[in-house]
Order: sequence, then C-alpha cells, then structure tokens
Amino acid sequence: MIFRQILLQIFHKFKQERTISAPFHLLRGKRSGQTIQDVGIFQLHMYFGILPKLSRKTYDEEISKLIEEQYMTVSDEGYYILTAKAKEMNQTVDLPFNGWQYRGNEHLFFARLSLVIQSLSHKAYNQMSFLPIQKDPQVQEWVRKFLISHHYQERDLQQQLYEEIIVSLEQAPIEQHAKVIVMKRLTGYKIAGYTWQQLSIYENKSEMDIQFIYIACLHAWLNGITDKESQFPLLAAIAEQVRVAMPLSGSAYQTAQLFQQGYSIEQISQYRKLKRSTIEDHIVEIAMNNPRFDIRSFITEEEIHQVVNAVDDYNTRKLKILHEVMPNLSYFQIRLVLARGETV
Amino acid sequence: MEIEKILKERFGFSTFRPGQKEVIEQVMGGNDVIALLPTGMGKSLCYQLPGYIFNQPVLIISPLLSLMQDQVDQMKQFKEKRVVALNSFMNPEQKKQTIYHLEQYRFIFISPEMLIQPQVQQKLNTLPLALIVVDEAHCISQWGFDFRPDYLKIGELFGNHRPPILALSATATSKVLKDIEVYLNMSQPYKYIHSVDRPNIHLAKYSFLEKEDKLDWILRHVLETEGPGIIYTQSRSKTESISELLLQHGIAAASYHGGKDQLDRQFIQQQYIDDSLDWIVATNAFGMGVHKPNVRQIIHETIPGNMANYMQEIGRAGRDGKDAVAILLYAERDEEFAKFVGIDDLPNDHHIELYETYQLRQEPPNQMIQNGEISETSFRVLQYWMTQKSANEVKELFQTMKYEKMHEVDEVMKLVKTECCMREILVQYFGQELETKPTNCCTSCGLTLENLLLPRQQKDHVVEETPWQKRVAKILGIS
Ligand SMILES: [Zn+2]
Repeated sequence: MIFRQILLQIFHKFKQERTISAPFHLLRGKRSGQTIQDVGIFQLHMYFGILPKLSRKTYDEEISKLIEEQYMTVSDEGYYILTAKAKEMNQTVDLPFNGWQYRGNEHLFFARLSLVIQSLSHKAYNQMSFLPIQKDPQVQEWVRKFLISHHYQERDLQQQLYEEIIVSLEQAPIEQHAKVIVMKRLTGYKIAGYTWQQLSIYENKSEMDIQFIYIACLHAWLNGITDKESQFPLLAAIAEQVRVAMPLSGSAYQTAQLFQQGYSIEQISQYRKLKRSTIEDHIVEIAMNNPRFDIRSFITEEEIHQVVNAVDDYNTRKLKILHEVMPNLSYFQIRLVLARGETV
Repeated sequence: MEIEKILKERFGFSTFRPGQKEVIEQVMGGNDVIALLPTGMGKSLCYQLPGYIFNQPVLIISPLLSLMQDQVDQMKQFKEKRVVALNSFMNPEQKKQTIYHLEQYRFIFISPEMLIQPQVQQKLNTLPLALIVVDEAHCISQWGFDFRPDYLKIGELFGNHRPPILALSATATSKVLKDIEVYLNMSQPYKYIHSVDRPNIHLAKYSFLEKEDKLDWILRHVLETEGPGIIYTQSRSKTESISELLLQHGIAAASYHGGKDQLDRQFIQQQYIDDSLDWIVATNAFGMGVHKPNVRQIIHETIPGNMANYMQEIGRAGRDGKDAVAILLYAERDEEFAKFVGIDDLPNDHHIELYETYQLRQEPPNQMIQNGEISETSFRVLQYWMTQKSANEVKELFQTMKYEKMHEVDEVMKLVKTECCMREILVQYFGQELETKPTNCCTSCGLTLENLLLPRQQKDHVVEETPWQKRVAKILGIS
C-alpha cells in the first residue's frame, strides 16, 4: 500500500512531464544528470535513492497494477496520465523520508549499530565470543576500531549507548510502531532479531511496507542524531559519514573543484577529456545542491526572469517547449534556472 | 608432540571421533589423504589440529564463500587470531594487504577463483606450506553435482614439490573418488571412508497422485508431530508459499533461500538453533554451517536432483544420535520437474554457438552474462571447456552431462519406486555394503512414524509485545 502511495505521489509531483520510468530511477537514486535535476525541479528530495536495490520487475508489477486498477493510463512513448481516481486519492505519504541526504547509507548506520549492540550485549552477559551478525569485513573492522577507541572493556559503554538511543529515538517524529520495527531488527545475546516475514505478520502489513517504515524511521532518527551531535556522541560516531553533506556525484565533485579554481566550462571539458554537455550536467547538479552557487555567470538576471515567467505562463517545465518559446537561450541555461526551482 | 594432548588443550575434547585420528596421523606422516566424513563429524579438526603441530601455514581451498566466512568466524571465536579468508568479499586494498602479510597466518582459507590469480600464486610459491586441504573435494568431478572448473587446476598449480594434500568431502561415489585422486595428482593416497549409513535416521516415503495432496499431507503432519524439522523444496517461491501456509496455522515456521536478506538468514538460523522456530522451509541453500543437533525431521516436498544432495540434506537430522526421520514425498511426474531443474543450468548448444560468435567478433564472451544470455554458473563451466576442447566436443560433453544428470534423477526415483530396503539402495549407491538394519528401518522394511516422532506440543506462540525501550534494555543487559 505504501509503495503505491509513494508512486502516486511521485507521479503527481512529476506533473505528467516525465515517463513512467522516471520514478524508478528516482527511487533507485540513479546518479544521472536528468534524475538529479528532476529532484530539484520537482522537489522530490525525500524519495531519492530510498530503494537502491529496487528491481525493474517489482517496479513494473506495481505499475501494471496501477494501470489495471485505473489510476493511470500510459502512452506509447511511455508518458502517463493520472486519472481522476488517482487525483482524488489522498496521496500524502506520512513518512519522514530523507533520501537525498542518506541515499541508502542508513543501512550502513544500522549495520554498524547492530554489530556494536550485539558486541555490547555479549559483553553485558559476560560472553566474549560470538558469531558477528554483520558479515561485511569493512563493517566488522569499523566496529572493532569503534569499540577499542571507546575503551569498551573498561567502562560501561552499554549504559551510555542505551541512554542515547532512548532519548534520541523518543524524539524522532514517527509513530511508535516504526521504532518497534527498527529495534526488532537488532540482535543480542540469546535474543534473535525478527525477519521481515515475521514483522509483516505481527504488524499485519506487507514486507515491503514494513521496509519503507523501517527506512523512514532510520532517516528520522538519523536527522536528530546528526543535528545534535554533541548530545549523542556515540550515535553520532556510529553515523559517521552516513549523511551526505554535499551530495554530488564523484565526477561532478571534480568539476566543482575546477570551477571554483576559476576554470571555464570549455577548459574543464578539455582538461577532463569529457564532453561539454557532461560538464554542463555537472554545473546543473552543483547549482541544485549549493544554494549559494551563482548561476549569473551563465545567464543574466533578465533571462532568469524570462524563464521563470515562461514556466508560469505555459504551466510547464518541459525543456523542449521552453526552448521553443525562448530560442535565444540554450537548454543548459534553461536547465540551470529550473534546477534552482525559482518561482515568480 | 602428543596429538591427544593438543586435542584436549586446544579443542577441549578427550577422545577423537571415528576417522579423525587415522586421518591426522597419515597427514602428519606426509601422505596424501582422501577422507570421506559425514558433515557434523568433525571434518575441520583433521586439518586444524595438524596446523598447531606444523607451525607452518595450512592452505584450505573451499568453494563455498559463506561457509568459509563462517569457519573463519568460528575459529576466531575459539581464540585463533592467525586465520584469514582470501575471497571475493574483500576490497582490492584489503586483498593486497592480506596477500602481502600472508605468511603471518596459520590457516589460510581461499576460494578456487582466488587461488588461480597470478599474484596469489606468486606469493603462495614463496610460502612453506605444511598442508593443502581441498574441502568439498567432490566439486572436482565433472560427474559430481557441484562441478567447479577451477578445481581442476588445483592439481597443476602445485607441481611435484608440494606438501601433502588432504581431500575432504561428505559424500562421494566411487567414480567421484577416482576423479579426486586423478585430478589432484595424488600419489597413492590413504583413504578413510566413513560409512554413509546413519542408522538413527529412519527413511519414510509417501506417494501422491496430485501435487496439491502433498501440501495437505505436510500441513496435517506438521500440525500433529513434533519438530524441529526442515522442509526442502526446489523453488524459492515454494518456500514462501509453504511457510505462509504453516504460519497461518500457528506454526513457528520461516522460509529460507539464497535470495533472502542477509540479516534475515542469520535471524532464522539463530531462532532455529535456540528453538524459537520449529520448521524451516528451504531450498538446498539451508543447512551449511548450521549446527543444530536436535533436528528430528527432514521432509522432501519433492524429489531432490541426485542421491548426493539427498544424503547431504537428510544428514542434517539427528546429529545428537537420537531417532530422526527423513520423509520423501512424491507426486506423479515430479521427476520431470527435477530433471528440468537439474539440466537447467547446463549450457546448451545455443550457448556454445553464441560463445563462438562472440569470439569471432573479438568480443569477450563473458559479455554473455551482462547481456543476460547465460547465468554466471553456466558460463563458468562453459568457459572452462571451451578453452579445453573444440566446440563440437563441448557440445557432446554437455549432452553426456545432461543425460548423466537425468540419470541421477532416475537413481533417486529408484528410492521412490523400490519395494526393497531404501537404506540398502542408498548405501549401495555410494559403493558400500549395509551391515545391519535398525528397527523401523524404512517404509519398505516397515516403519511406524508414531514410534519415532512425538505428538506436537502446542506451545504458546510468544509474540513479544514489550515496548521498544524494554527490548533495547534487555539486549544491553540494563535492568
Ligand atoms: Zn530398510
């Protein structure tokens, strides 16, 4: 059910200007110029990359159901039109996703946390050997270093971690059931975690819905932890580098650095041996991510207004139409303005 | 150095299990050894104990990555720090570091894919290896159910000046045994072959006309008798649907297959081991590395692809030595499906032609995997043979393998159709003779399930309703 609501909400926000594949790339967090720009244009930050492993098959099945049940129709070119039934339906999804800033890294946070907790649990019950619940050697190594640097042998680390979890998770703005789900995925000495199948039965929701709630809860919790690092030092350490500070793709990041050093698009393109259009994609991505980035070195103030007005007049964000209306501006210039999400 | 002393001090046992001492003594004497020991009979002790005497690295080649990881974790649990697994789970930097410091380890686990890499080879040549262990050695045989082409190269890799090889397996026919000896270039190996018969596992079978009837039978049986048990089936979706059926009837069950979330798989193992789950519905992915002594029942919802699989799967019951039952269910034409599943991952003529087309176009044939034209396992086998033989020979070879696989299913069908003792057929298949039959031996000899299984005890289904805060407190031992 939640999956359907999320899809309908995304389709609604896309204003029927993208194909039925666009939500798929958005949910998987595809790092292409188009998807990244769309996040800014249509204000879809919360859903970006919340399902990095979503399979095309699962996605297509859900879309087929939406079509079958007459929520939408799809044209031959892959564009969609929402029906009245879809528009009537209350599309607000009441889950505090923050996909843009975590991008699947919430799973890394939980992996570390669950291994830290499993270790401390065994320590609390004086059991010093156990099979680690997390198999990834990098996570194991990270947790080992964390425990040693926090002198877990000498002090009562579990008490402090316990208090931090209780206070921070209680503050997280999400219903209790979600917190129960997250805590039931933890494991300890003689206490096993619950599988998705089991949680789905106890909560009477589909496995997929349970996982959505779980992800949203981790996002809400992580927001609180990373906003108040000094109040939750242990959890903040476990959340190290989980929140993406300047969410840029690696390649765009290199372009950003060269641009800051004063190189032009042309120069960067030659230097990096990349097509001009690729560098332009990067600039658009940078403009979207950094509100302080000044786009006026590419487009005049007057032209910005021209674009903003055209978007309003023609009630569209389709590049093709906007370019037709303003042939004096390049696609790149129009995209820059759209990326800023500026309105009249 | 007395090996009994090490057994006591290192491993905490006062006596050896059958076969262990013989194998260790032969290995210590510098001989090649082939040891067929059933799972759960302490295979790993056969190389771990010598590792403490040699004081030189022991190399363990194993094809099962997760099992390898499990063994390393378990050895670390027993305070062995000088153990490492070299496999594709590592990132390039970790791999480089590990290879560089390889001589520091006492036990080096390695996957066959990793073994053939030049930088690994180079390093291994400089190490004074005391022993080479080939685990799951049946994978070397193309007739085996789990053929790994890379295994064939092990023999060539080490040449003549090599330490002794210890080949370990749980199940192998005499044909496979011969292959192990030949392909590993072993010189007159000492063979220890444990009887494959497990007298405390009683063999039952039931035939049905319709496939659906099997489900009704399973549900009724599980509602009436006591577990813990494992239900093996052939497809992932079946594990889901059967486990849901059981759950709806208040049975503590879970589905298990290779496609499940990594954490879920461990939760299931953990819950199963501490008895909060009674039934696992699984594909053959379940069982490796799960040490649960009190499994009372193994049910095969449909016939397995070959006798070796069947043997391995029923072997997970009754490790505590107490009575257990293995129940084989059959519905008309189940063998067709088993054959289909069996040959499904064999490359066919079309794959071979495609492989040649790629070669002609001077494109790397492994593009076939990316293009979704072949599975990774099939490609591995195909690639190996295409570098060894001509396309026509390979076609012929796969044709032979296909018949062989189908023949394997027919062998299992003998168990289903026979009116002779099932145990006898099973043991003879592995080239051994049955000496004695237990009471309640098998369906053919006469067996009453009621004598072997307890009636199901209705347990209160404990659903934890405590607030999340209490769960965290309990886990962290905070009162
Ligand atoms: Zn019999």
